[in-house]
Amino acid sequence: MSTKHLSNAVSRRALLSQAGHGFGALAAASLMAAPIPQAAAQAVAQTAAETKAKAVIYLFMHGGVSHVDTWDPKPALSQRNGQTLPASFAAGLKTSRIDFTKAIMRGSPWEFPHHGQSGIPVSTLFPHISKHVDDMVVVRSCYGDAFDHAPAMYLLSTGSQFPGKPSLGAWTIYGLGSENKNLPGFVVMSDGAMKCGPQGYGAGYLPAVYQGTVFRGGKYPVLDLGNPQGVSPEVQKETLDLITDLDRRHLAARPGDDVLEARLASYELAYRMQAAAPDAVDLATESALTKRLYGLDDPLTEDFGRKCLLARRLVERGVRFIQLYSGTHLGDDWDGAHNDLTGSHHKMAKKSDQPIGALLTDLKARGMLDSTLVVWASEFGRTPLAEGKNGRDHHPYAFSMWMAGAGIQGGRTFGATDEFGLRAVENPVTAHDVNATILRLMGVDHTKLTYFYQGRDQRLTDVHGEHEFTSFLLA
Amino acid sequence: MLARLSIFVSVLAIACWANPEAGQATALLAKQCGACHSGQVKLSGLDLSTRDGLLKGGTKGPAVNLAQVDESLLLAAVHRRPGVAAMPPTKPLAPAEIALLERWLKAGAPWVEESAKPAAPTWWSFRPPQAPVLPAGVEGHAIDFFLDRTLAREGLTKASAAPRAALLRRVYLDLTGLAPSAEAVQRFVTDPDPDAYAKVVDALLASPRYGEKWARHWLDLVRYSDTAGFELDSYLADAWRYRDYVIDSFNADKPYDRFVKEQIAGDEYWPEDPEANTGTGLYCVGPNRDLFPDQADINRVEVLTDYTDTTASVFLGLTAGCARCHDHKFDPIPQRDYYRLQAVFAPAIKTKVALNRLGSLGWETGENVREIQLRELGEQIRTIQEPCRKKLYAAKLAKLSEEVQTALQTKEDEKTPRQRELSTEYATAVRVTDEEIRGCLNKSQTAALARIERRLVRMFQGYAPKPFACGITDVGDYSPKTFVPAKGKAEPVAVQPGFFTALGGGDIAERSFERKVTGPIPMFPTTGRRHALAEWLTRPDHPLTARVLVNRVWQYHFGRGIVATPSDYGSRGAAPTHPELLDYLATRFVAQGWSMKKLHREILLSAAYQRSSEPAAGVRAKDPENLYLSHFRRRRLTSDELRDNLLAASGELNLKMHGKPVVPPLAEEEMFGMIGRADSSWVVSSNPDDFRRRSIYLFQKRTFRMPMMEVFDAPEPMLSCPRRDASTTAPQSLTLLNGSFARERARALAKRGDMEAIFRAVLLRAPDTEEANRLTASFAKLEAAIGSREAALVEIARALLNTNEFLYVD
Repeated sequence: MSTKHLSNAVSRRALLSQAGHGFGALAAASLMAAPIPQAAAQAVAQTAAETKAKAVIYLFMHGGVSHVDTWDPKPALSQRNGQTLPASFAAGLKTSRIDFTKAIMRGSPWEFPHHGQSGIPVSTLFPHISKHVDDMVVVRSCYGDAFDHAPAMYLLSTGSQFPGKPSLGAWTIYGLGSENKNLPGFVVMSDGAMKCGPQGYGAGYLPAVYQGTVFRGGKYPVLDLGNPQGVSPEVQKETLDLITDLDRRHLAARPGDDVLEARLASYELAYRMQAAAPDAVDLATESALTKRLYGLDDPLTEDFGRKCLLARRLVERGVRFIQLYSGTHLGDDWDGAHNDLTGSHHKMAKKSDQPIGALLTDLKARGMLDSTLVVWASEFGRTPLAEGKNGRDHHPYAFSMWMAGAGIQGGRTFGATDEFGLRAVENPVTAHDVNATILRLMGVDHTKLTYFYQGRDQRLTDVHGEHEFTSFLLA
Repeated sequence: MLARLSIFVSVLAIACWANPEAGQATALLAKQCGACHSGQVKLSGLDLSTRDGLLKGGTKGPAVNLAQVDESLLLAAVHRRPGVAAMPPTKPLAPAEIALLERWLKAGAPWVEESAKPAAPTWWSFRPPQAPVLPAGVEGHAIDFFLDRTLAREGLTKASAAPRAALLRRVYLDLTGLAPSAEAVQRFVTDPDPDAYAKVVDALLASPRYGEKWARHWLDLVRYSDTAGFELDSYLADAWRYRDYVIDSFNADKPYDRFVKEQIAGDEYWPEDPEANTGTGLYCVGPNRDLFPDQADINRVEVLTDYTDTTASVFLGLTAGCARCHDHKFDPIPQRDYYRLQAVFAPAIKTKVALNRLGSLGWETGENVREIQLRELGEQIRTIQEPCRKKLYAAKLAKLSEEVQTALQTKEDEKTPRQRELSTEYATAVRVTDEEIRGCLNKSQTAALARIERRLVRMFQGYAPKPFACGITDVGDYSPKTFVPAKGKAEPVAVQPGFFTALGGGDIAERSFERKVTGPIPMFPTTGRRHALAEWLTRPDHPLTARVLVNRVWQYHFGRGIVATPSDYGSRGAAPTHPELLDYLATRFVAQGWSMKKLHREILLSAAYQRSSEPAAGVRAKDPENLYLSHFRRRRLTSDELRDNLLAASGELNLKMHGKPVVPPLAEEEMFGMIGRADSSWVVSSNPDDFRRRSIYLFQKRTFRMPMMEVFDAPEPMLSCPRRDASTTAPQSLTLLNGSFARERARALAKRGDMEAIFRAVLLRAPDTEEANRLTASFAKLEAAIGSREAALVEIARALLNTNEFLYVD
């Protein structure tokens, strides 16, 4: 009979014992990102050449960015501004708030100048990011079938519309572990309340150790990282020593229990993280020039600028996967486009454009872009048709994203939508295809990265991902 | 038996005579493929029990090509070639077996009828459990009899009996989730009564704490939450009634067959019994997407899917979900069987369960009046506020530039893009707050508002949770049809409600089910589909129901089930380590009236349960996973146990039972990422005493786990969780070491005034000399460093709450 079902449960324990029984050997293993289980190891490329990205910075625009107003210009929409759709185009399209047979077409209020040597058109919303078009591939043919925020966010991040599945970041450290033993392998930074909640970056059925760690603001970005108030380092040290001594005695009477040993080691790691994490978020050593580049001197860009700068610092420290969210449903949000396309997109672009441009500039200047994959995405696009007078509804049937770095041959677009931007018609790709591609760039075969749960080997890409487009990106 | 053997022999003889290998080949097909590809199951439409079936094949084409044998699909599958589903799914055929098939096909696949007939279900868990025959003298010690036999076979030495103190803490935590007091340990250790342990077991089973602990296991399994999930994450405001129902059911030792019947069809069995109807709340406490009305069709499908998958997983221990989209790849569950089970729930709708006739009716009447009063009060409030609101808005507007003023005052439809940007940017600058209005109201307006406030106080001072639970019932004695989704252009096929074919199957007849009602309340009839399902599940010889349950109980006591995959009894699940023991427990459970407490008692009184967690020499190398239970499996406290025992150790635990969920205050950084505003998504309970209640009463939000609980592996509430993880991570140490919850408990502990009392409260014993010296040394250093005796004691308490001795159960 198959003993596979047990491998997940026991692998950690088995690997810990393989790591050696000594306390030192255990401490060397990172408990922030557990040892790589055998079930995951088989999916990882054996050669460095197959590993293009050592780290991923995933820029997630919360709320839904209009593709036809950013990366996918549609002159036909402007030409037919105010008209209804030809009936053949409307069939089968559905959203929550508009009727595709009745709503009118709305051209983009923004210009689309050409950029770089490649001449890729980008709307005037992104004057900074657009300087980097020659380093990026703009994917114009994403599509999905979830037209509400949370399901669409889960779909893109976890491959399922239903929350409770492991996210891309969780799968990544499940397969690859973390290079820094004193920091989490998967870090999340957001503006707070999001429509996906923590399940958008959760570990799902994977063990909790693969959960994204939220970096909050302030000196101690991880919850409970700082000593309790009023406890000096000296007192903290003494209390820790006491715990360690009592635990060592306890362990001496229970020799060979590697879980108890691991727990002893976890205090040492926690102690080390208390030093490593504040150092990672301390921007004092960054030059004034760098801070200005990221927009830290402007209240509008300061917040997302800090996150982008932190992302670079975390990549420098070996953090594997960093997910940044722009927007929150309790404040500024790309989803303001329902009734205010111009206002919401203008403001959200203002807040994130310069920081993201700076991140690309900075990564490139430091020679880090070659081994870092930067992904810009949103859970869906917005209807080319108008919602109300100045809005656009959710549109999962076609939307855009872009990727840069990690050996990607930039200055190109991939896929295309129809003349009105309604449907992806050329090289259409799903969340599964995108995730398969990202994993492949990290040297991971998405068909082999599995976890046994509920009777089968589960995958991030389920049984899909067959339209992975890595070879296009690298060609 | 003898007769069957002789038939077998004669069939073999004929086969050998007809063709030396044909009999072997067809027997191989029957054994390896028959469970899924024969009889009524026929996955992918493939029937390998006849030669015609073999040649015809299934939905993927003919299984064999006798003209070009090497191109046969059957051979591709058993060779596990790429692009073809590997068969058999779990264990490849031996090379000799494959060679046999190849030779046989090349010989033209001669068929030997008799030996190819499908046997009764070949998969062990689909056959009814058989009570093993016990040798004389084993009665009462059957568990140890089975375990000892395997230990002897494996050459494993048993560990000695657990130290008394460790045993007491173990059984307290397993049964009640709370450790004993140091005094109880002292009493037990010195108790000369040989029945002392049995008496403790009985006392704990009778304690209300037992139901609280075991309800937690059940709620994990049925994906219980107080909210629905997804981006609205709406409240399931009455879910806690089901939680209390589960606690009370465990405490009352409700027979498990009744527990199953109530949850699946309480409304049909006992329509007038509010408790039985509350049981159907199982189908109210799951996820729900709350989509917009024009997507209600999608929502309905998702709800039915959740009902079907949850039922199969919780009661049958099967991963039926795979068969939603296609025939199950590993188990004999064809897609139509999935929809037959789903059809059982097709007429089910959510309903309000009145918990008592008069009270519930009275509450409804009151609510009806309140609504009318409130809508008038709302209008009065607006009327009083309006003049001030206008005045204040105008004042704020006047301070802004002319361009902004114009932008804000231009009608929405007529705004230019620039005006829209400005309107968004300055929306907060012109917002008028309630406080500002309050400061602006004149005397008579203020008095009018105060009158309204007094009325509201009168209306709501007695407000309490409504006397209703959520349950399900049928919409009537008819049902929408259920279809197997069609592929391509095929017509969808309607199916009858029924049970899994491989488990004996059977359809549920279409009929009107009259519910037996004695009182004057008229009840509409239902379809009886769920009643039929519950009857089928609780048949004494059902292959799975009892096995699945006893194995779950075993797992919660020993840390690992006899079947290590507690919700997967299919071919990808684990084989039982002790099959006869499993069947013994299952059949005995049914014979003893499905009593959970009797089952606990028998397990807990076994020598195996009372063994030390220290293995005998050499055992760890031979049986590293302790499959054979030569010693007890040490475990970490669960998140709920940890929180409860922190409170118990500090003497703060509030044992109040039942009631609406408790929402404890969280720091802002702890709530980070939560969906919605805190004042509506996390409505903190009013009574601070409630914050110290047991974790089972805490508000369980489906999209958000409290950080301390999450870090200690509280399960993801979207999914049925049959077994919690027990990870070891640095953030756990940070939480216990620096987190405010543990620290507040340390402060309360420090009030005991001396180190030994604190030590006893946490570790249930006095420190030995070496420990006492170590503590004294630390205390001296800490007191010197902090300059306060009390603060030094807080540090000592904090250290003790962080020890492995506190966190792990021997």
